[in-house]
Amino acid sequence: MKFDFLACTFIGRKYLLAIMLDRKIFTLLDVAQSVEKTLKKRYTSSFWVKAEMNKLNFYNHSGHSYPDLVEKRDGKIIAQMRGLLWKNDFLRINKAFLDTLKEPLKDGIKILFLAKISYTPLYGLTLTISDIDPSYTLGDLEKEKQETIQKLKGQGVFQKNHNLNFPLLPQRIAVISVETSKGYADFLKIIENNPYNYKFFLHLFPALLQGDKAAQRISDQLKRIKKLRHHFDVVAIIRGGGGDVGLSCYNNFELASEIANFPIPVITGIGHATNETVSEIVAHYNGITPSKLAQFLLQKFHDFANPLKEAERKLVDKSRQILRDEKSTLLSNVKLFRSNTENILNLHHHKIGNLAISLSQQSKFRFKSEIDILNYSVLTVERESLSLLDHQNRSLLQLTQKLDLGSHYKIREHSLELSSIEKNVENMDPRNVLKRGFSITLHNGKAVCDLSQIEVGDELQTLTFDGEIGSIVQGINKTKI
Amino acid sequence: MMAQEIDYTKAFEELQNIVSEIEKGEISVDELSAKVKRAATLIKVCRKKLSTTEEDVNQILRELDATPDVS
Repeated sequence: MKFDFLACTFIGRKYLLAIMLDRKIFTLLDVAQSVEKTLKKRYTSSFWVKAEMNKLNFYNHSGHSYPDLVEKRDGKIIAQMRGLLWKNDFLRINKAFLDTLKEPLKDGIKILFLAKISYTPLYGLTLTISDIDPSYTLGDLEKEKQETIQKLKGQGVFQKNHNLNFPLLPQRIAVISVETSKGYADFLKIIENNPYNYKFFLHLFPALLQGDKAAQRISDQLKRIKKLRHHFDVVAIIRGGGGDVGLSCYNNFELASEIANFPIPVITGIGHATNETVSEIVAHYNGITPSKLAQFLLQKFHDFANPLKEAERKLVDKSRQILRDEKSTLLSNVKLFRSNTENILNLHHHKIGNLAISLSQQSKFRFKSEIDILNYSVLTVERESLSLLDHQNRSLLQLTQKLDLGSHYKIREHSLELSSIEKNVENMDPRNVLKRGFSITLHNGKAVCDLSQIEVGDELQTLTFDGEIGSIVQGINKTKI
Repeated sequence: MMAQEIDYTKAFEELQNIVSEIEKGEISVDELSAKVKRAATLIKVCRKKLSTTEEDVNQILRELDATPDVS
């Protein structure tokens, strides 16, 4: 009985067992060689296949790869086959990938490949890959990137990290990098040797930064940092010196989502990708290179320090200005005060001068008028007194005349009276009495009128017209009256 | 650390306020001396912030050990 191996491949196990009952027994190699022969005959040429390369399975020492090729539907594997990529083919294709995608051949990418079915009894069925079209994978990666973006936008978190307030001073930095990477060294050099004496605090959280595992490692470190976030102002993802390959991990949804949702700003400097990756887009700031990222941080310090300097300068300038203004206001006030007082003094001086002149003029005028009045009065007095004098003179004259007349009359009257009195007096003169015989008796010089004053023996003198008689009293006879 | 962050942000804001007050000429000569003195203190605080950091690596490492790893 002749076996149709090809048919056998496709018929059920039950039927095969039934055939085996005929007891014709083959070795495994018989079967395998039959399969090999049939397949060789059936699949003579190469054909293009699209599949997902679950694992590349690159063997370092041989340089050959044995990719796991799968097809998935709704996340479940519905077909899988082993692939084979010889060393030379791998090198050629990998170079084409690096040129076109900036990505090497790696796990988890969708590929369109030219393959031939081969079968060996020892290794079984294999798809031997002679070429892979990088543009198909590129499109797929781009599709993945776009899907990540759409998903983040759909969740409303695409701008979330962007919208965080960037700290005034990004001083405490959680760095996700590799200690030995050139990019990190560049970053450190700029940050730590800055000539402005700006002080940063850096703490390194080591992680793979490219390739398949990078997305997971970076996400893990981000989760650790999240727990310590009160110690940090920003997270910096720094890579560099590794060439521009293996960056498609930064389009990974989980990583991009972790960055977009991160509670403090995430900044990136992961090197020159041809296109910005989603992680870089959703990060608060993408410095592209580590050096530029370091410069960005220094610039933030400048942004703080410069206004500080500016504030200081303004403070000094404006304070001086205020003092200057006050001083000049004061000076101008003093000047104004001085000029005003001078004006007032001048004004008063002038007024006093005018008053003095006016006073002098007025006084002169007044004097003159008083003199006039006085002169007039003098004249009046003179005239009046003259008139009075004249009047008095005339009265005096009249009186004189009257007196003259009166006195003459009086004198004649009195002369007559005197003549009559003279006659009488003459008649009464003792001498004339004595002539007629009468005498006067004196006692001690006094005329004796009372005889009681005389005693007998007293000496008496008797005056007569022509002389004196001395006598002594001899008797006294008093006549009764 | 967070409290200090607020302090220097506030210090910077206060400084900006003083400067703008002076710029607008809202400060009298009587207040000037006190304000300038205050501004000088604030500038000192901000300057110090630029050139020092008080973060402690050991503290971070202790906290890192204390929290279970997520991966």
